Amino acid sequence: MLQSTLVRFLPAPFCPDLSLLLAVAIGLCGRSVAGGLIFSAFLGCVADLLSGSLLGQHVLLRVLAFAAARSASVRVNLVGTGSRALFVAVLTLLDGLAMGGLTAFFSPGARFVWIGFRTLVLMAGINALAALPTVRLVSWLLGRLRDEDGGRRLVRIEPRGWAA
Amino acid sequence: MTEYRSRVFIAFLVVGLVGFSLVNMVVDRRALGAGDQELSWWSGLLLDAAVPVQKTIAVPFDLIRGTWWNYVALQDVRDENAALRSKLAAVEDENLQLREALVASGRLALVDEMTDAFDVPMRPAELVGLDVSAWFRSALIDCGRSCGVHAGMPVVSPEHFGLVGLVTTTSLRAAKVMLLIDRQSAVDGLVQRSRARGVVRGGKKALEFEFVARGGDVQVGDEIITSGLGGVYPKGFRIGQVTALSAPDARLLQTATVEPAVDFGRLEQVYVMLRRGPTMELLYSTQDGDAPESAEPPSS
Repeated sequence: MLQSTLVRFLPAPFCPDLSLLLAVAIGLCGRSVAGGLIFSAFLGCVADLLSGSLLGQHVLLRVLAFAAARSASVRVNLVGTGSRALFVAVLTLLDGLAMGGLTAFFSPGARFVWIGFRTLVLMAGINALAALPTVRLVSWLLGRLRDEDGGRRLVRIEPRGWAA
Repeated sequence: MTEYRSRVFIAFLVVGLVGFSLVNMVVDRRALGAGDQELSWWSGLLLDAAVPVQKTIAVPFDLIRGTWWNYVALQDVRDENAALRSKLAAVEDENLQLREALVASGRLALVDEMTDAFDVPMRPAELVGLDVSAWFRSALIDCGRSCGVHAGMPVVSPEHFGLVGLVTTTSLRAAKVMLLIDRQSAVDGLVQRSRARGVVRGGKKALEFEFVARGGDVQVGDEIITSGLGGVYPKGFRIGQVTALSAPDARLLQTATVEPAVDFGRLEQVYVMLRRGPTMELLYSTQDGDAPESAEPPSS
């Protein structure tokens, strides 16, 4: 919903794809795979309702994006900023191509108009930049929810006056 | 063993979600073709919930944009005002001459009848959100079935009655509109000057007007309006202005680039025409159970 409002003020290629970033961030930081899959599917469902796509298009792509992020986080070192940004950029390109392919396949008779490679690369760049704060925010949120700050809670020390 | 079961469960979940998505896409595609745009109850609830949330989110952005457009960017208003007054005077003069010609030819009464037929009830609506995907161009408005809005109704802008798009899906309090600039949009149009016909489609940046090259009299600066053919949009609504022509070659069809009459980047208010075209009426009337023409426009 935030993205749908942001697009009114930012042209579409310059607006980061928040649902994709969220799905990737949960894949990189989250612990529960089942929960992440279901949440990504829900994100895709909301995106489909607020978009002109067929119901299920964004669901499929968000689930695949989560699965890709989850697999990559296990097999590849994606801790660094550069590697994460590159991963998100590549995922955005693949997501764009898949969206175009699905649209062309499931819309017989409708003319398929390619979005343009430059636009796709621009979107990949914007998403890569927005991915870093998004992943950090999601990581912080998930940490708070799991109460992983317990070990770092401040301990209150009340000094006793040893000179009365 | 537990880990094995967990992996199997995850695999089934992934396959299930992928299968669910694919089935949904096929079903949704078939429903589109059959004209059935009734959302399921949970989809409708989600769409209805989106409208107030998006309005709330947009408040600070609207404030900044309003401050900019109403105060900071008013530097050329005086010159623009003078130019518009001059243009209005010229248009009024031309209108007077045309009316005189109609009276002289005895066809004024016929034109009045056409105006009455053209008088369609309209419902104002506010645009609350745009498409989240760069592949599609749709918009969400804050009027749904409770306002008398149904799928298949045309949407126009309050300024100069430029064509905005077509309502594709409705919930109780919201509706999705496929914009004219969507890549899957196609409108039958004609050149106001030469009456050459063609099809206007959404393109990468602007609209594309495809017409038959042989005999098609299209020039840069021509106004493109809806032809009324196809039974979707009424005749005479502004689509845009031709800004460029493709180089003529041996192909049957030629393409002209059309700048939309509506500034989609600054669109905030729209009007929904509470009457479907005959083709849309044929497509949707069996699903709704009532014809929009017979429905009384809801009191505001």
